[in-house]
Amino acid sequence: MKKLTALLLAVLMMAALLPSLVQAEPVKLTMGSWRSDDAEQAKGWLAKYKELTGVEIVFEPTQSAQYNATLRLQLDNGTGPDLMYARSYAVGEELYEAGFFMDVSDVPGVKENFPASALDGWQAKDGKIFAVPVSAVSHVVYYNVDIFEKHGLKVPETFEDFLALCQELKDKGEQPLANGIADNWDILECVYLGMLPNYVGGVDERVKYESGEKKMNDETFVKSLEDYAKLAKFLPEGFESMGNSDMPAMLALGRAAMFIDGSWTAGALLGEDYKDLNWGAFAIPAPEGNKAGMSFHTDWGMAGNTATKHPEEVKAFLAWVASPEGAEIISKAQPAGFFPMINAEIKLEEQHANDILALNEGKILDSRFVWAKLLDMYTPMVEQLNAIAKGETTPEAAAEVFAAEQAKILDK
Amino acid sequence: MQPTLSKSHPRRSRLEPGGGYWIWYVLPALIMYCLFMAYPMLDSVRLSLYEGTTGARNFVGLANYVRLFTDPEVSARFWGAFFNTWVFFAYHMLLQNVLGMLFAVVLTNRTMRGRRFYQTIIFIPCTIAVMVTGYLFKLVLNPQFAGPTLRSMGLGALVKPWLGDEKTALHVISLVSVWQWVGIPTMMFVAGLQNISEDLLEAADIAGANSWQTFWYIKFPLLLPVIGMIAILTFVSNFNAFDIVYAMATPDGAPNYSTDLIGSLFYRYGVAGKHPIGIPEPGVGAAISTAIFAMLLVGVIPTLRATQGKE
Repeated sequence: MKKLTALLLAVLMMAALLPSLVQAEPVKLTMGSWRSDDAEQAKGWLAKYKELTGVEIVFEPTQSAQYNATLRLQLDNGTGPDLMYARSYAVGEELYEAGFFMDVSDVPGVKENFPASALDGWQAKDGKIFAVPVSAVSHVVYYNVDIFEKHGLKVPETFEDFLALCQELKDKGEQPLANGIADNWDILECVYLGMLPNYVGGVDERVKYESGEKKMNDETFVKSLEDYAKLAKFLPEGFESMGNSDMPAMLALGRAAMFIDGSWTAGALLGEDYKDLNWGAFAIPAPEGNKAGMSFHTDWGMAGNTATKHPEEVKAFLAWVASPEGAEIISKAQPAGFFPMINAEIKLEEQHANDILALNEGKILDSRFVWAKLLDMYTPMVEQLNAIAKGETTPEAAAEVFAAEQAKILDK
Repeated sequence: MQPTLSKSHPRRSRLEPGGGYWIWYVLPALIMYCLFMAYPMLDSVRLSLYEGTTGARNFVGLANYVRLFTDPEVSARFWGAFFNTWVFFAYHMLLQNVLGMLFAVVLTNRTMRGRRFYQTIIFIPCTIAVMVTGYLFKLVLNPQFAGPTLRSMGLGALVKPWLGDEKTALHVISLVSVWQWVGIPTMMFVAGLQNISEDLLEAADIAGANSWQTFWYIKFPLLLPVIGMIAILTFVSNFNAFDIVYAMATPDGAPNYSTDLIGSLFYRYGVAGKHPIGIPEPGVGAAISTAIFAMLLVGVIPTLRATQGKE
């Protein structure tokens, strides 16, 4: 009898449990990212999304330098995340071509809410969009306000003013720039490609170099390299061994008055380490007579995995990312220096970040010059820029190398 | 259930030399070795015959090797890294190991005082993470951060971008690595020297040998097996070295590939891919490691023959 009661009880309990078992357990999605530094912020905005929809998204970042390789490996093995940060242009497009990224062209909001310059970063050859644009970065000159005030200096309007400013600082015993070449990337990505839109112009001019209609040893490029060479004269002693992370330290110690870096560094400058530093930022100025441009680089988009088990939820999430409401929540959770690309009035909470974003106004905006089609020029360009800085080559000779590399890519 | 003598007897005979019992002692280690060392190594040789990543991997035969040795860009990088690795190795062999022996001889001298103290000092750098050593030396060698201190000490001539100059970067990195690891050969030589019988040294003393003669005719020959072991360890670890370059230069072997070692070259091609694309070519990486494996083998076997197995 006891056994029977126990059995009955067990059956009853099972019956009570059953509905909850049958009921779909809450959907849990995974998200791959290269931003391991701001995992906390990401968890914050993903938690807000969970509040709104009940869908839980687990943030699984990889170290930035290994992200492309790791993601590729995961996707190849069928263990890729449901959602993932997508690099712009060729690197992201390759994953779309290989069938890993969803076509998001029809996701509500994608076509309506973004400017063409933003979509450009994630548009495949077939015209389909493979990721929702999220954040862009720009490249600016940071300066130590105290040093500027001490000498009564003003933010320069033209590149000629900028050079004169550097000279004046030098004459007054200050080190003008803190940039170095040791890390092999920022001299190109932030300094030279930051300058370039002031010379080349926007995307309609860039494509002429990508098609070969214009050669990279033309007047425009020689002029840009000459200006770079003039600026390189103001790099600090031992710039050959100075790296990217040395620059904010130099600025904070008063060892240098300025440095050129990406907008993302604003996040570091706003941190605890630099709380005593009084800093500002201005756009890398255009030479006299040129229309001012700004490198506003399509940095990250959000892509969906074609192999996901929850396509509905993934698409719903992507639509949220493409909506002004979603974009606002995400943008506000981003570290300073990552800017929304959506056509919506989003007021960032951090004043410095708003100031840097405001530098875009009235300028021609474009992604980094080599990213779209000429990525193979990256290494040769870094090498030439290093050589110019060290005085081992001339701007003209470097432009010839540029043109030769451009021709090599076009021949392929 | 009690074992009888007659049953246990034949079992004991298997423990005689020539019995097959040893296999049971070797087996666990052999299985682990095959599973975690031999198989992955052989599989990486196989991988060197393929291109593409895991999903879309195509058999390409020896194409990766052909590219490695004939493509002007790849082969320039390979031979550059190969040459740099030999320079890096020369520093460790000729400076680190010679210093190690010198320290060991001094430390084991009977009249030496504070032996433990010096031994600890020499060994401490080995316990610091390479990333930490690399970062500290980057600051010390940085003209902007160390410059003012050096100048105030009247050493202005030393204020140079040591790590930014193609001519000096590799040498400086090698010296930092020597500084860090000199404790290892020192410890091994100390152990080797302590194994030498006092009788021999006393006999030499009585026969009137001076300390150089004692070293050259008694200590050095008896240390040969240790020297051989250290030479092989140095050779292997230098040809696998990657961390110090990663910490002090970049995985690109900056400036201008002058500090590129086989290890960093392999990392760029096989693991990380080139910045900013970052898609690796595991096939080329495996071809690099297989080629180096073959070269290491050619170096290691004669060294083993020459220094080991002499009773």
